[in-house]
Amino acid sequence: MIKLEDVSKNWKNFSVKNINLEIKNGEYFVILGPTGAGKTLLLETIAGFHYPDTGRILIDDKDVSFLPPEKRKVGFVYQEFMLFPHKTVFENIAFGLKIRGEKNIKNQVEGMADLVDVKNILHRYQKTLSGGEKQRVAVARALIIKPKLLLMDEPLSALDALTQKKLRDELKRIHSETGATTIHVTHDQEEALVLGDRIGIMDKGKIVQTGTPEEIFRKPETEFVANFVGAENIFTGAAEIKKDITEIKIKNVVLYSTHKKSGKVNISMRPEDIIISKEKMESSARNVLYGKVVEIEDKGAIIQLKVECGLPFVVVITRQSFLDLNINIGASVYLYFKAGNVHLF
Amino acid sequence: MRKPEFTTIFFALMGFFILIFIILPVLSLLFSETPGVLIETAENPVVFDAIFLSCYTAFLATLIALIFGIPLAYILARKNFPGKNVIKAVIDVPIVIPHTVAGIALLTVFGSNGVVGGNVGIRFVDSIFGIIVAMLFVSAPFLINSAREGFESVNPKLENVSRSLGASQIKTFFKISFPLASKNILTGSIMTWARAISEFGAVIIIAYYPMIAPTLIWDRLSYGINYSRPVAVLLILICLGVFIILRIVSGRNHDKT
Repeated sequence: MIKLEDVSKNWKNFSVKNINLEIKNGEYFVILGPTGAGKTLLLETIAGFHYPDTGRILIDDKDVSFLPPEKRKVGFVYQEFMLFPHKTVFENIAFGLKIRGEKNIKNQVEGMADLVDVKNILHRYQKTLSGGEKQRVAVARALIIKPKLLLMDEPLSALDALTQKKLRDELKRIHSETGATTIHVTHDQEEALVLGDRIGIMDKGKIVQTGTPEEIFRKPETEFVANFVGAENIFTGAAEIKKDITEIKIKNVVLYSTHKKSGKVNISMRPEDIIISKEKMESSARNVLYGKVVEIEDKGAIIQLKVECGLPFVVVITRQSFLDLNINIGASVYLYFKAGNVHLF
Repeated sequence: MRKPEFTTIFFALMGFFILIFIILPVLSLLFSETPGVLIETAENPVVFDAIFLSCYTAFLATLIALIFGIPLAYILARKNFPGKNVIKAVIDVPIVIPHTVAGIALLTVFGSNGVVGGNVGIRFVDSIFGIIVAMLFVSAPFLINSAREGFESVNPKLENVSRSLGASQIKTFFKISFPLASKNILTGSIMTWARAISEFGAVIIIAYYPMIAPTLIWDRLSYGINYSRPVAVLLILICLGVFIILRIVSGRNHDKT
């Protein structure tokens, strides 16, 4: 178990303030926040690259606040991979074992290479590797020491979009296979949602809210969190592929998406992709829902409505349409949206 | 047709003149002696001893510069502290002061009545230690500056990762920082060795004897240039040889990174 008690640190232009955090063994914790929030500094302080100005860091009930990094058994993965350029992939992964004078290095490295799928590049140097390969190696190198805690600082941010998605799923799989307690820092909400057992939102050096993805995205406690995670329609449901369409059940509501994915999925819809109407109308939209307006928020040029259809949907319309529609709280409305606009991840 | 770039042509022409200015005297000297004369000169024990002594003392000066210079270079590259710029300036002092002045300054410390020379029981005046001290003084800045640049080019995050994997600070230094800066350190060592072997002014003030090659060349000049020149050619051949070999080695060293 990892416990931070009132940890503060100032370093150069960055700071973390009074961080209190508890992470359970085997948990995948994501720290989500904008650039400059102090996420990296917090991670580096946990790793021991900096010592806290005040507060305590406990790993398995042991105070490690002033323990040098080599004594903490904490794995670290940087955004920029940071493979040792003068060593091969094999030597990179083996580094932590060699330092410890362990035996059976070859077998362990090969096992780890298998886990992260880099077995065929063990003899190569980093300059011949792709970004995705480098990051797999970096993860393997950190995991091979069986760290009590794996820290990852924006591990996917330096990769192209396609590799990012692929490696994101890989990280999930690797975590489920190793059960390594992980803190993953990112500014990407989707990443946080897909990977995090719990999420902590960080702003200006402080953790402003922690909770399950559901709690964070559904019930943002502060305006910052609400704005940062976005008031998008995000739900979790069970998907099933049926011929050319995916059917997703969320509670009592059934949605259709053209994106193919099955099992437990996250769904998001942009509020502006939803058409609202008072009467039932002919539409090519695959998804039609009926509900009641429960909230109206005037945002100037646009009006934001919350419509309860068994799920709370956020819809935005222009001021003109709002006036034309003549909607009040409690009004019954139909929502229409295309299956192509139901995004699954 | 593409228009010729007159600026580039002009610059290249100017560069050509300075290159010729450097190459011409070296080549002219190299071809001024026949191989026969060179071999005969090299077989002269006095000449051989002087050249060997030059190489040997320059090597020892480089070694000392490495042992004491690298830790300093590392600290300067990694840590920030008040007075750091003053220290950096101090390191460059030997480069800017005239070498005869450096020799006299060293004599005040390492002379038989100096703070060090009078107290440690080692004779510096007219001894190999005096030669090494003079060489070290004028050449160490090259090594320190080059090594510092090398360490600065190593991302501190690599060291962080190494430490997180269980390597102590000193292990991290030897396994990560030093190998990654080794190209700069090797280049710095070559420059230091070359600077040491070419030193004359500071050396003769503290130690005219035993004679290093530059001193012998100077000494022989009083009997005529024909007597002195073969030694000069031999010295330049050895220096160029070592310089070229080490350049090739250091160029190849880091192909993989």
